[in-house]
Amino acid sequence: MYWTNSRTWSPFGELRGLQREMNRLFDGYDNGTSLSRFPALNVWGNTDQIIVTAELPGLEIEDLDLSVVNNQLTIKGERKNDKPAEDAVCHRNERGCGAFVRTVKLPFAVENDRITAKYENGVLSIVMPRQEATKPKRIEIKTA
Amino acid sequence: MKDTKDTAVEKVDRKQAEPARKGRMYIPNTDIYEKDDSILVRCDMPGVAQENLDIRLDNNELEITGTQTVSAMDEMDPLINEYATGTYRRRFNIPQLIDRDKIHARLHNGVLELELPKAEQAKPRKIEISTER
Repeated sequence: MYWTNSRTWSPFGELRGLQREMNRLFDGYDNGTSLSRFPALNVWGNTDQIIVTAELPGLEIEDLDLSVVNNQLTIKGERKNDKPAEDAVCHRNERGCGAFVRTVKLPFAVENDRITAKYENGVLSIVMPRQEATKPKRIEIKTA
Repeated sequence: MKDTKDTAVEKVDRKQAEPARKGRMYIPNTDIYEKDDSILVRCDMPGVAQENLDIRLDNNELEITGTQTVSAMDEMDPLINEYATGTYRRRFNIPQLIDRDKIHARLHNGVLELELPKAEQAKPRKIEISTER
């Protein structure tokens, strides 16, 4: 459907992919596929728009950084350690903290100026409308 | 940073009765801190609105239940599905030293913060030594 890779196959592309994989392995930097999957994403789409949601409890809006470059959405952020006081005794610590990056490839070009994002109850949702020029058009066939 | 829900699912207590209704049950990730005058409990509950959060104190047991609100995705196809939604539930035993009437709860950006103040007699105090003359 529209989640297809439009690039045609080339051996150099394969090599570049391999290089990217290796870089990611050694950098510990996530490119949005396998290693680090934080935050977990849900993505919905139709022919007009894409919606991405992520559960990110305990952040402030200024801790989040979203960008779309070359059909790739990048979600960057940091969850700060919220220990109440230095001398507080910790009995249980299950909530992690730290910086994260997640990149997801979008199936089509989006209107960068019309992207809307909201952060509500710890859930981030980003709505990205498709670029008009890339929408599928029906082609009329004329009879002679 | 590990996905919160992965760890949550791992920790589901099998002995606890599962409610007979739709949706998954999750145990929220929790931090517990103790200060001189209070105990602070923080639970990650993303997607839970204040009106869907229920906190009950029954004798020594504090139970929190929060159901996630899911916005309907009409005429949208799921492309990537990495997390599911459901209900968060967790129980805590509250020790006697807590002042039950002063428990304070606050929900902010998907994190529930419970402040359990210690009763007056349980607070640490300095004991004055009286010198006999």
